[in-house]
Amino acid sequence: MTTSPLMQINHLVKKFGDNVVLNDITETINQGDVIVVIGASGGGKSTFLRSLNRLNSVTSGQILFENTDLVGLSEKQLDKIREKMGMVFQNFNLFPNMTVLENLMLAPMKVKGETEAQAKETAKGLLDRVGLADKADVYPASLSGGQQQRVAIARALAMSPDVMLFDEPTSALDPEMVGEVLKVMQDLAKSGMTMVVVTHEMGFAREVADQVWFMDGGQIAEKGTPEQIFTNPQEARTKDFLSKILSQ
Amino acid sequence: MKKWVQAFGALLVTLIAFSGLIGLGHSVHAADDSLAKVKSRGVLVMGTSPDYAPYEFIINKDGKNEVVGMDVEVGKAIAKKMGVKLEIKQMDFDSLLVALQTGKVDMVLSAMTPTASRAKSVAFSNVYYKAKQYIIVNKNEKDLYKDKSSFAGKKLGVQTGSLQADIAKSQIPTSTQLGLAKVPDLILALKSHKVDGIVAEDPVASAYVQNDSSLAAIDGKFNLAGDDLGSAIGFPKGATSLVKVANETIAEIKQKNLFPTYLKTAGKDMAGNVQNTSMLHYWSYFAKGVGYTLLITLLAILIGIPIGTLFALMRLAKNKVVHLIAVSYIEFVRGTPLMIQIMFVYFGIGLLVDIPALVAGVIAVSLNSAAYVAEIIRGGIDSIPVGQTEAARSLGLSQRQTMQSVIFPQALKNIWPALGNEFISLIKESSIVSIIGVTDLIYQLKVVQTATYKGVQPIVVAMFLYFIMTFSLSKLLNHYERKMQHDN
Ligand SMILES: Nc1ncnc2c1ncn2[C@@H]1O[C@H](COP(=O)(O)OP(=O)(O)O)[C@@H](O)[C@H]1O
Ligand SMILES: [Mg+2]
Repeated sequence: MTTSPLMQINHLVKKFGDNVVLNDITETINQGDVIVVIGASGGGKSTFLRSLNRLNSVTSGQILFENTDLVGLSEKQLDKIREKMGMVFQNFNLFPNMTVLENLMLAPMKVKGETEAQAKETAKGLLDRVGLADKADVYPASLSGGQQQRVAIARALAMSPDVMLFDEPTSALDPEMVGEVLKVMQDLAKSGMTMVVVTHEMGFAREVADQVWFMDGGQIAEKGTPEQIFTNPQEARTKDFLSKILSQ
Repeated sequence: MKKWVQAFGALLVTLIAFSGLIGLGHSVHAADDSLAKVKSRGVLVMGTSPDYAPYEFIINKDGKNEVVGMDVEVGKAIAKKMGVKLEIKQMDFDSLLVALQTGKVDMVLSAMTPTASRAKSVAFSNVYYKAKQYIIVNKNEKDLYKDKSSFAGKKLGVQTGSLQADIAKSQIPTSTQLGLAKVPDLILALKSHKVDGIVAEDPVASAYVQNDSSLAAIDGKFNLAGDDLGSAIGFPKGATSLVKVANETIAEIKQKNLFPTYLKTAGKDMAGNVQNTSMLHYWSYFAKGVGYTLLITLLAILIGIPIGTLFALMRLAKNKVVHLIAVSYIEFVRGTPLMIQIMFVYFGIGLLVDIPALVAGVIAVSLNSAAYVAEIIRGGIDSIPVGQTEAARSLGLSQRQTMQSVIFPQALKNIWPALGNEFISLIKESSIVSIIGVTDLIYQLKVVQTATYKGVQPIVVAMFLYFIMTFSLSKLLNHYERKMQHDN
């Protein structure tokens, strides 16, 4: 795969008061990469992800996205950047006061200024892609968790982002629904989307990830191909974490 | 009541003086240009509380409400002498002196007794009419009473802060008094035996006795001495040129012996009022009151929502100064009575810019409502999970777009019942604007009471009208609430 850096993170530090959550992280995310971030709960995975699109403030360091440093940008400037960075949340966060279709059409129309017809066409195409074409006009409350998360992915895709960030997208789902969401993510990865995925789904990581990053102590303690991390981890704490998670 | 209204007026003047705006308030004292001012304006503004027949009351003439009575005749004579037109501003008796001090009116002509304490803040004309003090009683008990001495140990109704209150207390020391603001309310108290008699001036007593066959009046034989007993015209302190013209006019009226004529005219007008005292006949009065009440409520909602939203957003803002401004506003407004706010806007702000009573009422009620709406909206916004904001922002929506398209519509649905309650209570609470003379339903209710000499019926009518308004609004709001629930 030919690679060029889409994001470059330099010496990223994030503190909540005295609590150093991200401790001097320097990493590169290349175009088309699928990176799975694993690590213990409370290890700073969400904070890391949310720093990438600056939903968090950061304490110091650089976050270069397509050669723009996001640290120090105003909220207004960040709005422009966030258009190009889709995010999917553990709790879906669909807008309950809008239909599925309206959820998908809101940002393209408000932010990109697309016409209603344009936005509708894109939205319908995306719903088809996630297998929910028949749910266009229902409200989110009537959907199952798996369906809601697929809508949330489609909603993010409606902005044609350059990168997609997933924060434990299947953690809130009943086990029987995890598969349908992972399937959509897998298809997305195949289409060449750059993805950063925080997840505990080791099967997904093994199959889909180009790289697995293990986060611990506010740093990327170890990284490598799924093969390297899962079959031949170098760090004791990586082994420790994996043995715990795989024994569950 | 009276006293704290005056105290409030004084406080206002002090406040405004402190804020460096003294120039405007003080110019009156510099040189007396009061008469010149009235002349150049071409209008003499008379403040009165038209619920005191035959001195001042309201009649319906060709479908329009008009203030008439003996005092109005005196006012007209003074205006004529100055060569200007007379304009009448109606308001609560308690508000009259504040209105005078704050320049809302040029003179107060409202059967006012020039007591020493009032004279401290007001320049009074000579006494233009000196009435005897009567006691109104129920006709079937008339034989029980001879004069004031018969009321030892009894209960007397008096108007709050009036001369009658003073003499009842000092000359019948063993009596107790019930003080109410309005004569019609006192009459009600008498008829329902809450009091045994009402101390009132003879013209007033005669008016009620003539128009209500169940009442009788007896001469109280009070000791009345001194010039401070009787009615005089109040002017702003230092307005000597106006007082002079008033005194000249009074002298002429007395010399021509015009008062009996005035009283006769007033009597005719009153008789006209009571020819038909069915509430139906007065429908236009109530309609006007309902109209104003709805107008004030509607405007207060329309103005209160955007301002309330603004304050809610300011209170939620990260900027400390902006946050503090909003918190102070909200807490201050919620911590002071609407009544004071209305008086502050009308009289206080009115010192700087002349605002009509209706506008002042709408401003005060709107700004008051905005504070409550702000808190309701803030609660609504707080109730929306933070994930909604994060999802919207991650899609590139700006803070403003997020608020408008995502948070606010959801918040509105949550707070709709609370907002509805606020609107319904606005219909009821807006009634306080009647103290500055806005002709809302409460005000009109009192007008009808005065005009018809009927106490209870207008209350019942007004009560039903209020209920119809609040009930309809509540139904309407429920309809929209159901509609919003459907969306989900
Ligand atoms: N808004 C916040 N304020 C203070 N501390 C926070 C906040 N968000 C996260 N943290 C702290 O940062 C640490 C990392 O949290 P998080 O990034 O959510 O971890 P993970 O996603 O790996 O479970 C935790 O100790 C958490 O308590
Ligand atoms: Mg997390």
